[in-house]
Amino acid sequence: MTPFDYQRIPEAAAVPAQLTPTVRPLAGGTDLLTRLKACLDRPDALVDLKASDLGRAIDRVDGGWRLGALVTLSRIQHHPGLRADVPALAEAVSQAATPQLRNRATIAGNLLQRPRCWYFRNERVQCWLAGGEGCPARSGRNEHHAVFDTDGPCVATHPSDPAAALVALGATVTVLDGGGGERELAVADLLVPPTDERRVEHVLAADDVITAVTVPSAPRSTYLKAMDRAVWAFALVGVAAAVSADGEVRLVASGVANTPWRLAGAEAALAGPGLTPEAIDRAAAAATDGAAPLAENGYKLPLLRTLTHRALTAVA
Amino acid sequence: MSVGGTPRRIDSEGKVTGVTEYPADRIPPDALVAKVVFTNQAHARLTSLDVRAAEVTPGVVAVFTAPDVPVNVYGLTLPDQPVFVGTSHTGRTDVPCDVSRWEADHLALVVAETAHAADQAAAAIVATWEPLPVLGDIDEAMAPGAPLLHPENGLGHNVYTTYNIRKGDMAAGWAAAAAVVEATYEVPYQEHAYLQPEAGMAYIDDHGRVTVEIAGQWTHEDREQIAHALDLPEDEIRVIYPAIGGAFGGREDTSLQIVLALAAWRLHQRGEHRPVGCVWSREESIVGHHKRHRGRIQARWGADAEGRITAVESEAWLDAGGYNYTSNKVLGNLHLGQGGPYEVPNAQVTSHAVYTNAVPGGAFRGFGGPQSAYVAECQMNKLAEALGLDPVEIRRRNVLRDGSIGITQTPMPDGVTIAQVVEACAAAASTPPPASPSEPFTPFATLGPAAGDLRRGRGFACAFKNVGFSFGFPERCEAEIVLHGAVGDDAPHGADLFHAGADVGQGAHTVFTQMAAEALGLPIERVHGHFSDTAITGDSGSASASRLTWMAGNAILGAAEEADKAWRNGDRPAVGKFRYVPPPTEALDPETGVCTPNFSYGYVAQAVELTVDTGTGHIRVDRVVSTHDVGRAINPDLVVAQIEGGVVQAHGYVLSEDLQVRDARIQTPRLSTYLIPGIGDGPTVIEPLILELADPIGPWGARGMAEMPMMTYAPAVVAALHDATGVWFDAFPLTPSRVLARLNESGRP
Repeated sequence: MTPFDYQRIPEAAAVPAQLTPTVRPLAGGTDLLTRLKACLDRPDALVDLKASDLGRAIDRVDGGWRLGALVTLSRIQHHPGLRADVPALAEAVSQAATPQLRNRATIAGNLLQRPRCWYFRNERVQCWLAGGEGCPARSGRNEHHAVFDTDGPCVATHPSDPAAALVALGATVTVLDGGGGERELAVADLLVPPTDERRVEHVLAADDVITAVTVPSAPRSTYLKAMDRAVWAFALVGVAAAVSADGEVRLVASGVANTPWRLAGAEAALAGPGLTPEAIDRAAAAATDGAAPLAENGYKLPLLRTLTHRALTAVA
Repeated sequence: MSVGGTPRRIDSEGKVTGVTEYPADRIPPDALVAKVVFTNQAHARLTSLDVRAAEVTPGVVAVFTAPDVPVNVYGLTLPDQPVFVGTSHTGRTDVPCDVSRWEADHLALVVAETAHAADQAAAAIVATWEPLPVLGDIDEAMAPGAPLLHPENGLGHNVYTTYNIRKGDMAAGWAAAAAVVEATYEVPYQEHAYLQPEAGMAYIDDHGRVTVEIAGQWTHEDREQIAHALDLPEDEIRVIYPAIGGAFGGREDTSLQIVLALAAWRLHQRGEHRPVGCVWSREESIVGHHKRHRGRIQARWGADAEGRITAVESEAWLDAGGYNYTSNKVLGNLHLGQGGPYEVPNAQVTSHAVYTNAVPGGAFRGFGGPQSAYVAECQMNKLAEALGLDPVEIRRRNVLRDGSIGITQTPMPDGVTIAQVVEACAAAASTPPPASPSEPFTPFATLGPAAGDLRRGRGFACAFKNVGFSFGFPERCEAEIVLHGAVGDDAPHGADLFHAGADVGQGAHTVFTQMAAEALGLPIERVHGHFSDTAITGDSGSASASRLTWMAGNAILGAAEEADKAWRNGDRPAVGKFRYVPPPTEALDPETGVCTPNFSYGYVAQAVELTVDTGTGHIRVDRVVSTHDVGRAINPDLVVAQIEGGVVQAHGYVLSEDLQVRDARIQTPRLSTYLIPGIGDGPTVIEPLILELADPIGPWGARGMAEMPMMTYAPAVVAALHDATGVWFDAFPLTPSRVLARLNESGRP
């Protein structure tokens, strides 16, 4: 870890203007701290958002819920209203990390965590995502890596469980920028594959801060997760399924691509709102359409089909 | 009665209240901070090393490198590793020190006022390397033309230790076989993952001794290795173990002992008398210490129509990594286990240790036994399947008994009880378990049961494992007891016990105290233990090989007898010292393997019930009956704790722990990527079943048992998985990815 300054700013609205590529926001810190310790991030200063009046409330709003950016995963997990009204989100957070980490981690920070690719996380390796060249995982140990969109420069998977659930639920984030401007962004548009110019998994600028997450209701929704152990592991594959207020079924997978991955083939195979056993069979079979697994992760395809089938059965 | 009871552990109050000091807690605030600089080169020759910039980094006190070490080589059972890789050394060894053979070879030790200064200085060290071909695994190391990692041994190849067994007539054995099963098995690494990463400190004590406080498994062996490298007499070195946060074999070899001693000694010579401390991070620990060996075993077994073994042909290769550590000893143990705990009339067994550039293999609970027991028991279960026999019945017809001739063609030590252990385990496992409907797995708690994808199965395995050091090693254990009382007293009012044996968390010091109290007829509160300090205790041998209770118990019995003699002689205080030496053992004959390998064994059988989700590859172990002949449970609660802990550790080994190594470098040096079992992962029910069939020469009849739970879990789980799916798994860990891939490739179920 390299030394950095620690700053507190009481007014959340004043934080974005202070942020730069080397002055970074700190919320739960559950991912940032591990990156600092591994010298993957070397900020000059951290601004502690927890010292500010950034939102911590869980509010019922028209058609859904609005979560302050600092709402912790454990509060979502134990919130009766969210468990009943957006079960996919409550299930996703409850399967993320451990109780200790969920007590600390925030919903906004969870969306912005960096990949767990063991090459990227290794300070001795300078892979493309870490600013170097080449992807050692593509021909190396890639059991836990992507099976979709694998011809891009990076085959790491997005580590968040709630992200897949939020995309399936059609959630949005509210973003405050350094000039005082506020904008609304779908989570599906917030999280995008990294590019040469922007080697992160989101589109936020250095002076952007997420202030809230808005989640539409979907009582018929679920998130299933397969792990290498029963608790405290990242998803091998996760599947979120949600039936929206207008009856649309959305399927989003985690653990399979740089970002939460919309299972468009499976959605199309449903061919209508009726989740009959036959339609579910068709959709599960189509869940892996377009997949291009790497040498060591072909097992993710049957896993994805199985979870898709079970998720659809659960919300049918 | 102190023996056979479960008094409160003598360390429990301190550990519960947080008062207990582990090595890192002992480091005073004014201590200097040491940082070990790894070479970060799996295989390369050091062509230049410049530490001048590091030495002038603000806050840096000293930078130690190879020329600072009087004898720049060490190794527990074979000195083949430089203390520091350097361009030059003192020449007191044949081992070339200019080659890094492992990514965690030590290049330098930086000593500074702060950790930050030490980090900055480490980054300022300039080393230039000539890359050498990396031998990433045993195939690369054994390929024709592979560079020699230790040319100094004169062998001309990287296969540096080979053992043989040649018994009977193999042709006759195959001719008598009604069934033959053959497979190649791959066994994985395992990381010890003890709670307490490596930490320690060194200073010069009041008697001028170079003193190291650290966590280890054998104080006197640590002292010997430090003395050798520093070229000092052993009595000028002192090793003390504070509380130890787990070991499991991972502290059998030294980690920081030598470099910390070197720093304190050299600084003292320069007039700097502050202690020097070092605490490794989890990443440094995982990269920087040895692992359970990965390896490959090819096995071919035959049995007649009644299921009696007619021939065992088996060949094993262990990846020793860049240095021997204890590989030559682990290999012997694996070698002996390749025929299982059975009467084998005809055997051809060969075992090799191979140098590579990967992380060294070394001691880990079971010490080669779990690898060979996995193979032997899978072979036995496959024979049972081929012959249509019950897995318990086929064992009944083959297990060793009193008077049996072992695979090394000498009689087994008396007290062979594996037949009774197998019967007891089978009977307990046959008792219908509590109803366990096909519930969803924890990760899918939101779902109803996917009953169509769940399959259940049961599996059985048994094994034996030596207690104490094998193959002619000069095994011994010392104890000292001092009795206090007045001249006219009939009986002592209290006693001091001096013993070096390491309490690595298993409760050894409580058990020592119980045994001393029993031997002396004193209440346990009247026995005061003084442990694990070479300045005041005799050589105990290691906390390993399931030997410590067994060896220490015999030593304590002897010391109590000597003290009692002195007491009756009128000595006050009355001192009794005793050095226990068990029956001798012998090295393997190089050609035939004929020898008396061991003086005592422990026996274990396990029955496993599991459920597998064939849609996701997840396995849940519903129940394991872990059956152990412990001879005499000196402390029944601690025996149960060893069984439960061992089963969970084995569960991780078999199901989730997957050390990823690429180009001889560890890619998963964190507990977020190397997955030990979590609270939701272990078996749903662990049933420890304890038999007390006395070892004729064990103290109070006790047998060693600490490693036994590790021995049979892999083959029992694999047998249950086969029972559930019809598919054999000749490699593990059984992660969902491997299970799914194998089920899909088999087209089942």
